[in-house]
Amino acid sequence: MKKSLFINAGIIALSLGLAFYPLGGYQEGIVILLCINCVAAMGVSILTGFTGIFTLGHAAYMALGAYTTAILTVRYGVHWLPALLAGGLIAILVAWLIGVPTLRLTGDYYAIASIGLGEAIRLILENWQSFTRGARGFPGIDPYTTRGLAVAMFAVLTILMFNLLDSRLGRELRASRDDDVAASLLGFNTPHSRMKALLISAFYCGIAGGLLGGYMSFIQPSMFDMMKSTELTAVVVFGGLGSMTGTLLGSAAITLIMEYFRDISQYRMLIYGLLLVVIMVFRPEGLLGNREIWDFLPHRSGTHSFGKGRRS
Amino acid sequence: MSFSLSTLIQQIINGLSLGSVYALIAVGYSLVYSILLFSNFAHGGFLVVGGYACYFLLTQWGYNTAVSMAGALAASGLVAVLTERLAYKPIRERTPITLYLLIASMGVNIVIENIFVVTVGGRIRALPQSTFPTGVFELGGGVTVSASDILSLVVAAVFLVLLQLFLTRTRWGLAIRAAACDLRTAGLMGVNVTFLIALVFFVAGLLAAVGGIFLSVRYSLYPQLGSITTKAFIAAVIGGLGSLPGAVLGSLILGLAEMLTAGFISSQMRDLVVYSLLVLILLVRPAGFFGRTAGEKI
Amino acid sequence: MENKIVLELSSVDMRFGGVLALDNVSFQVHEGSLTGIIGPNGAGKTTVYNIISGVYKPSSGTVFFMDQDITALRPHQITHLGIARTFQNLRLFARSSALENVMTAAQNRYRTSFLEAMFRGYLVPAARPDDDYRYSFLEASLHVGRWGRVERRLREKGMELLERVGLADRAEQAAGTLPYGMQRRLEIARALALGPKLLMLDEPAAGMNPEEVLELNGLITGIHRDFGLTTLVIEHHMNMILNICSHVICLNFGAKLFDSESDEDVDIMEIAKVREAVQHNKDVLAAYLGSDDAKEGEAV
Repeated sequence: MKKSLFINAGIIALSLGLAFYPLGGYQEGIVILLCINCVAAMGVSILTGFTGIFTLGHAAYMALGAYTTAILTVRYGVHWLPALLAGGLIAILVAWLIGVPTLRLTGDYYAIASIGLGEAIRLILENWQSFTRGARGFPGIDPYTTRGLAVAMFAVLTILMFNLLDSRLGRELRASRDDDVAASLLGFNTPHSRMKALLISAFYCGIAGGLLGGYMSFIQPSMFDMMKSTELTAVVVFGGLGSMTGTLLGSAAITLIMEYFRDISQYRMLIYGLLLVVIMVFRPEGLLGNREIWDFLPHRSGTHSFGKGRRS
Repeated sequence: MSFSLSTLIQQIINGLSLGSVYALIAVGYSLVYSILLFSNFAHGGFLVVGGYACYFLLTQWGYNTAVSMAGALAASGLVAVLTERLAYKPIRERTPITLYLLIASMGVNIVIENIFVVTVGGRIRALPQSTFPTGVFELGGGVTVSASDILSLVVAAVFLVLLQLFLTRTRWGLAIRAAACDLRTAGLMGVNVTFLIALVFFVAGLLAAVGGIFLSVRYSLYPQLGSITTKAFIAAVIGGLGSLPGAVLGSLILGLAEMLTAGFISSQMRDLVVYSLLVLILLVRPAGFFGRTAGEKI
Repeated sequence: MENKIVLELSSVDMRFGGVLALDNVSFQVHEGSLTGIIGPNGAGKTTVYNIISGVYKPSSGTVFFMDQDITALRPHQITHLGIARTFQNLRLFARSSALENVMTAAQNRYRTSFLEAMFRGYLVPAARPDDDYRYSFLEASLHVGRWGRVERRLREKGMELLERVGLADRAEQAAGTLPYGMQRRLEIARALALGPKLLMLDEPAAGMNPEEVLELNGLITGIHRDFGLTTLVIEHHMNMILNICSHVICLNFGAKLFDSESDEDVDIMEIAKVREAVQHNKDVLAAYLGSDDAKEGEAV
């Protein structure tokens, strides 16, 4: 219980630093992007890292969030805050529709359906010209995503995420990830457990999408293609499946690397693919394995680390 | 577009032709899934290797069609085996978690795609016209069948029958089927698992190459051509993950659905129909038509 | 002693493809009894458990739990009604700590009452969540309200049960790294954490040495006595069952060979025959696998 306070305080301190440390315009942009990417990555992490469901289509939920927010604010003059939440809710709704048939099963079903979902959403956005302006993109979004908003959203969503993982829900998700049969015989309705993870996950990505739209002022279906989905999942794997602090570290690292190597875009993807393979072959457990960063701190025995015990 | 019998027949022919190409890809993917229980996303990469190998053998080195095709099949098969050895095998030996294989396969796909982007460029190419017969036959009532349609149907059928014979009539085919039931037990019974998995990947790569060549003929060749395997994955899910007859059936259904949509509704809707079909199947028959539902031992 | 019937299997058949794994199996388990199911490997013992706990649906026949037809219910609903089990080939959450394994179960405690079961009819599980162990999503996400209280309670419950099975000093260790015998006991603690009305142990002594088996006997009879818990044990260690159980059911080739309750005077020859069958089975497996241990660890 004391640890929970400690974590929450830590997140707030980090966020205050991100929000008020004096930075130039370019660095400020990177901080905003960092926050947005971290929110999306946390969304994928709770699903892939903590519930064991692989996804290749989470950019679609970002797209839903981004377009919902953009259309509500630009066309209907809705204030950005309710619009942002509406984006998250639309993502939840679509996730529920896609989750009902696929999450009853274990295996790669959701993964394949998620590719289909990603492509289908992109197709709809490209072809529904009258509503989304198609492939040319949707310009003129009010730049409501300031550094303050991005950091505040990051802080709130990170605190909620860490709290949820250190609760009955966290144990439920990890149980259904580690052993579906044992979990159901301990009284968990495991398809429901998976659904809970998916809905939370979609909400985070929807909000991240909405924030991205408000930062770029312009969105385009191709920003949310399968590459983006792959990147989201890769970040989570890179950080370590089952480690939320690992996800945040991984996301920050990849965001910064991608930002600094923007110039050699031709080789970027090649290096990125190789990196994925090399990590899987040599360090599949990612940066932090399945432990949180404080599990590495020397601690008194008896201090319970949430999530994991020590590993052999 | 109004309904007409000739359009119907025409689109059925087109659909079967497209479906047969999907089937070649889906069967290879399903074969790997049935043994190692993971979705090999590098399958699209194998297909692209086949396409480019055929292209360069034909245009740069001037070999004839048969040699080029054989070369392309071999190249693709070898890349598949190599991928298995270098990337998947170390992972398999370290952990039973298939998620890592899945992510590695995604990485391999990105690598293969971008090797072509970097070396030969991203531009769209076409296989030389003279490579394959291009004739078009009139069946009456405006219905036509192109030679490439017939060719792809015939070749797909030949390869699938050969695969079936291989799986049912040969020792190694039997071993593969045993391994699909239970890889570990097959290993305990004295099957050389390492060789068997290499063999499976070789066959999968080979089939992917055939698919790749036909797709390059039908459409064109570019590094991202492999993304079409998404359709083949969907076909495999519709048929039942891991089931070979399921993969063929799913592919034909998908090909027909796409072409009938293009013929009677609009060609922009065809992909949407594919995804709706996927969701529908998952809703009413989640394990697909031939899916295995037998669970693990408790 | 005419106690209430807690569990009843009525003419249960189970077919896997063409194989008849269970053939018209019927038996009753009375409240507070310690019942043993014995039989050679492949006799269908674990299949009986899988059917009772809802992992498999029987091809025909009915399962009643406290007068309620549970045949069609899903595993988690059956667990909610008050049936908990362990697994022959351990199914702990290997990466989580021992304590967390037990807490994961304890958070799913349900209350059931006979009265409710009677009024609610057959198909609706007459169980509701035990509010002492619950808090809402909002409380979980903000760590306010009941969260702290309930988490403390779960932790206390977990430690209490770990203590009961002698694992209190291993509470923070990852379950997968515990010695084998301890993992078996942890599974028992985890099942008890659900607060069950019927506890089903699946070969709890598998892979243990004679001393550990003796210790385990003490643990099982102790739990049965202290919690007043109706207990079902599968074993092929015949001696263990004969030592601790008041009621013995024997399965062979998927059919009930005898039942110490219905067959008033069990033919001693029959028991000897079973013992022979068990021994034979061991010999055959030992011949195949070369060692006795290989068989014990492996799933049937």
